[in-house]
Amino acid sequence: MIVLGELALWIALPVAIWGMVLAFVGGRHRRGDLVLSAERSIYAVFALLGIASAGIVAAFLGDRYEYLYVASYSNRALDTFYKASGLWAGQRGSLLFWAVLLAFFSAVAVFTNRRKNREFMPYVAGVLLTIITFFIVVLLFADVNPFEQLGFTPADGQGLNPQLQNYWMTIHPPTLYLGFTAFAVPFAFAMSALLSGRVDSRWIVVTRRWTLLSWFFLSNGIIFGMRWAYEELGWGGYWFWDPVENASLLPWLTATAFLHSVMIQEKRGMLKVWNMALVTLTFMLTIFATFLTRSGLIESVHSFAQETKIALIFLGFLALIVAVSVVLIIHRYPQLRSESEIQSFFSRESAFLFNNLILLAVAFAVIWGILLPLLSEGLTGEAIQVGAPFFNRVNLPMGMVLLALVGIGPVIAWRRASKRNLAKNFTIPLLVGVTVVGVFAIRGSRHWMSLITFGISAFVMTVILVEFFKGTRARSRIEGEGIPRAFVHLVARNRRRWGGYIVHVGIVMIFTAFAGNAFNVEVIQTLEPGQSITLASPLGHDYTLTYEGLSSSRGRNMVWQAVALMSLDRDGRRVGSITTEKRMYETSPSPMTEVGIHSTPFEDVYIILANAEDLIAGAYENDPSAQRATFEFQINLLVSWLWYGGLMLTFGSLIAIWPSQGPLPAEKQTAARPEAVPATVGAD
Amino acid sequence: MVLIVGAALLTGGVILFILLPVIRGGRASLERSEDELTESEAKKRVSLLALRDVEYDFATGKLDEGDYKDLKREISREALSALREVEAEGDRRLRRAKGSADEEAGGIEAEIAAVREGLRRGTTCHTCGHSNADGSRFCAGCGAQLPGAVEPAPG
Repeated sequence: MIVLGELALWIALPVAIWGMVLAFVGGRHRRGDLVLSAERSIYAVFALLGIASAGIVAAFLGDRYEYLYVASYSNRALDTFYKASGLWAGQRGSLLFWAVLLAFFSAVAVFTNRRKNREFMPYVAGVLLTIITFFIVVLLFADVNPFEQLGFTPADGQGLNPQLQNYWMTIHPPTLYLGFTAFAVPFAFAMSALLSGRVDSRWIVVTRRWTLLSWFFLSNGIIFGMRWAYEELGWGGYWFWDPVENASLLPWLTATAFLHSVMIQEKRGMLKVWNMALVTLTFMLTIFATFLTRSGLIESVHSFAQETKIALIFLGFLALIVAVSVVLIIHRYPQLRSESEIQSFFSRESAFLFNNLILLAVAFAVIWGILLPLLSEGLTGEAIQVGAPFFNRVNLPMGMVLLALVGIGPVIAWRRASKRNLAKNFTIPLLVGVTVVGVFAIRGSRHWMSLITFGISAFVMTVILVEFFKGTRARSRIEGEGIPRAFVHLVARNRRRWGGYIVHVGIVMIFTAFAGNAFNVEVIQTLEPGQSITLASPLGHDYTLTYEGLSSSRGRNMVWQAVALMSLDRDGRRVGSITTEKRMYETSPSPMTEVGIHSTPFEDVYIILANAEDLIAGAYENDPSAQRATFEFQINLLVSWLWYGGLMLTFGSLIAIWPSQGPLPAEKQTAARPEAVPATVGAD
Repeated sequence: MVLIVGAALLTGGVILFILLPVIRGGRASLERSEDELTESEAKKRVSLLALRDVEYDFATGKLDEGDYKDLKREISREALSALREVEAEGDRRLRRAKGSADEEAGGIEAEIAAVREGLRRGTTCHTCGHSNADGSRFCAGCGAQLPGAVEPAPG
């Protein structure tokens, strides 16, 4: 199986190149037979890369430590679950995993379009195969072949980093990669539109669901990463503006901009070049993110310099994408002119454009934050640290403006809105927002950034609720339907609009969670068994935590495990118990911390076992005098809202992605009976 | 041995699978299929959707009555020109199918005659020139009431 996998990887290269060449030639010379062969190459490459991936998984499950990659990321005692996920544990496997996911989506794209959108498909197949070829070349020729053998067989592997032995870390990378690779499809359609000359909005309509799918995976991937950081890294937060996190955020920012700006092109025939640029930029950032996190560049420029081969191939590929897309856009420029102009500053178009500019500004600030330390280290040998303060100072205000736009956009009419109407529509939401800020301020809170964020969140939520209410009422009145029925039809008839609003609710919840951070409580305290500590929650009640003692346990793949038990009382009533641990893994030189979390809808009690006098004596010899330990106690406000917001976002995107039934029912009706137009209220 | 056979089967299978279309002349279609929107149809669809947006924005109080009427007129004009484009495109396609230039000239004559006849019978729209089916009360092209239409009975 493993040898067959390696062989399949080698066969995949000529097949992909064959398909790539035939797709372009067949498209250019209108040869259906060549195009069919190219499309079959995509299926074949997917099967071959699938066999290669299965080979790697088999090597992990079979403890084949003669393979360098397996020896580096697994050991015999490792849980089977984590062995099976070894495919994406390290750089080499991840690159193969990327390639196989891309081949999978390519195959799906070709299959679902086997009878439609045919004028795009030759070049779509060509572009997708070019990207796949690139990844196979990297795998085979950049010293990162996952099938590379050591030449001897070690008795055991080096094991997986204990911090990665966490459920969230197992599903976080695949989710992110699904988002990265799915975006190759809209990019391929965009390039195909440029190559074939059909540059109207068709490619956007065709790829709308692909873009949403990619965005959905990217968002979830990022949130899963936050969940992992919160549970596993043990510092009480979930986002550190770490380069790896930033790398995943970048394509999300530009994809979000793209999702919004394509609507302007669809409706108004504007921003055609801008959309081409955004789709290219987003695709490049997915490649860049993979490159950044999987090339060793982030750790240091110097360690990176030893891997010049892979860096040169990646940078070369990125340069090729820029060059090709710029040339194509210039070539088609006369057809990409705007069909109309923004009529008024007070219009939804202009709100969308503003949202685009801010998203891009955030993206550039983040890129700058990633590149500055690398550039300075490369040029002066001294790395300038760009940390959380920089990112927060630059991005928080922009984030708040973006959040406000989430509320402003839906209420402004397309083309032009009158100021009188704006005043009418914004009065209630603004009042709600100001009231929220006022109530918090009167109750003595002085975290202004957070208060304003709460105020904007309340404003946006009110806008969205009013939108749902008005839409339902209008539909109920016009169609004569009951309220529940009108509501269901309202959403079902225009999933993109109303699904989008539900996603916005999720975004508001996530921002509220961010703002909750300012109210967190943190205390460090050394306790002996039986002693307790009382923390005052900002929500007005007291938590009492009693240290019950240290005990021992021994999980799989561990040398020892010391478990501290705390009982938790809220205002004198027992509400539960929390454990926090130190673990010594067989394959790690120093002990790892497992935090204890007691989660409620509005706050988390979060405990870190920071240090203990003598963990082993305390835990294993049950010696109370040795059980004195230092804990870090935190009350983290509104963290749950981040996860619930993520669920809301998932729910909303699924509504938007879900296929709608057939063509727009209104289309024929409207043409035949314009007096029936109001029947379709709520359609987008 | 098993390995060699497996490898041979894999390689052979893949080569056969991707080469067959070229050898045996299988084809993938490269043309837009009939039921897909053309550029002008897409444009028409967009302006019809815009018309509904305006209705929606007005119904939910985002537009003043004055702005609503202006915009509606403006978008109706856009929709109409898109409709004409779609029709022109359809005619062109039809004529291409018919063939020679001779027939084309004859086709135009015939078309003019048909429009005249339609105007007399009240099935051709006075507003946009669209030819409607017999017995139509409203124009399928622009929605105007047709002269031949009988007013619906009250009640």
